[in-house]
Amino acid sequence: MRQSQTAVLERYRVLRGDFTTEPFEAGWAGEARWFVQVLETARPDTRIVVTTQVSPDGLHWCDAGCPTQVVAGKDMISWPVREFGQWLRITGSVEGDGGSAKVQIYLTLKE
Amino acid sequence: MGYTSDTDLSAHLRRAMLDADPALSRYNPLSRILVFDQFNSGTHGWTELIGNHDGEGNLDTVDDHMKDFRPPQLSSCTFFDVGTHGAMTGTYALKVATRPLAGHTAVAIRRLTMARKGRVQFETYFTYKSEASSEENRAAEQAGAGEWDGNIHPSEQQFGAFTVATDICDTRGVRYHTVVRYQNTDLDNRFTRRWMYPVVPEPTPREHLQGKAKLGPTDDFTAPDPEDWRAFGEPQSFCYNEVPTKVNWHYLRWQIDTETQRNVELQVNDRVYDMRDVPVPAYEDRYDSLDNLLNFYVSARTHTNVRNFLFLDSVLISVDW
Repeated sequence: MRQSQTAVLERYRVLRGDFTTEPFEAGWAGEARWFVQVLETARPDTRIVVTTQVSPDGLHWCDAGCPTQVVAGKDMISWPVREFGQWLRITGSVEGDGGSAKVQIYLTLKE
Repeated sequence: MGYTSDTDLSAHLRRAMLDADPALSRYNPLSRILVFDQFNSGTHGWTELIGNHDGEGNLDTVDDHMKDFRPPQLSSCTFFDVGTHGAMTGTYALKVATRPLAGHTAVAIRRLTMARKGRVQFETYFTYKSEASSEENRAAEQAGAGEWDGNIHPSEQQFGAFTVATDICDTRGVRYHTVVRYQNTDLDNRFTRRWMYPVVPEPTPREHLQGKAKLGPTDDFTAPDPEDWRAFGEPQSFCYNEVPTKVNWHYLRWQIDTETQRNVELQVNDRVYDMRDVPVPAYEDRYDSLDNLLNFYVSARTHTNVRNFLFLDSVLISVDW
């Protein structure tokens, strides 16, 4: 049986401007998948642009090389990550002046 | 070797069998092992604590102070200077990590029920750490950081407190918490290094809904008023081991009695604290839907804008049922 874990990294959090999720250790996992669920936005076309990052120690970060992810309005997006080493997080921004979005962000991990 | 009774012989045989198992020989369980969680093989039911929500699943109805207790992580105890430290057993430990926000609390919970009332014992090998400083987190500039004197590291005073506690309810709806907290520093980041307990029960979501309690996101959910905490026993120092990246594991054994609704004793390494006189305040109101509730939670609470970590190598919960 393969081990797995789902972590809710942001719960009904209202994002404005730039944001970064808390570091999450995932060295035991061979594969990961992010889910960004947008529950509300300031405007119907408010966009969130997201970059996936990795770290060897939870302190120093670089881009994982995944394609930049974009979600517009009330929607949910998902993308996989592999060969990520130890730590994962996402960093991004809510575009536009006064732009805001209430989100639920999941990180799902599997051995 | 002579035995005066079959009971003596049984006890010796049982201990001998525990001692023959390297994983169990470091523990002192009561007669029945309820759970034995080695985090090298998963999270074993330890999950993030969250407050209650409404019938529609709208998480905006979760109390502000119970909405962000952070998911526990399976940690290889990896640090910037040495790489992977590893756990006491294998590679992985359970890590409970706060945000880098003064007053933030991270909580992991294990949910069980009672088949009978009686003695219950929680044992673990644990360690606690503040996050090392980096250019991004600037921990070395946050409150609590002092000068490095080559022995005590500035980060040690940036660890606030960790707590082990229960949430228990009997079949009549009488609900109470037994709580032990190690307060490493006070709210001004000065070492206190003492064990504490609250004299009030934790504010619940029902009390919030009834207008009896309203806490902010970083309020101390176990007992929000610092004046409601009391110290017990003598202060105790631990082998933090000078820097935030060296991990030494400490033994903790805490026994309670759900028949008498009391604490019994706390052992942490070489200290044993008699807790029979430590009060356990019950809620005045009765609770439904919680018959025989037996939850354990562990938390880390930071008193500065630096992440605090509580690591558990393994947990053993035993009972005398």
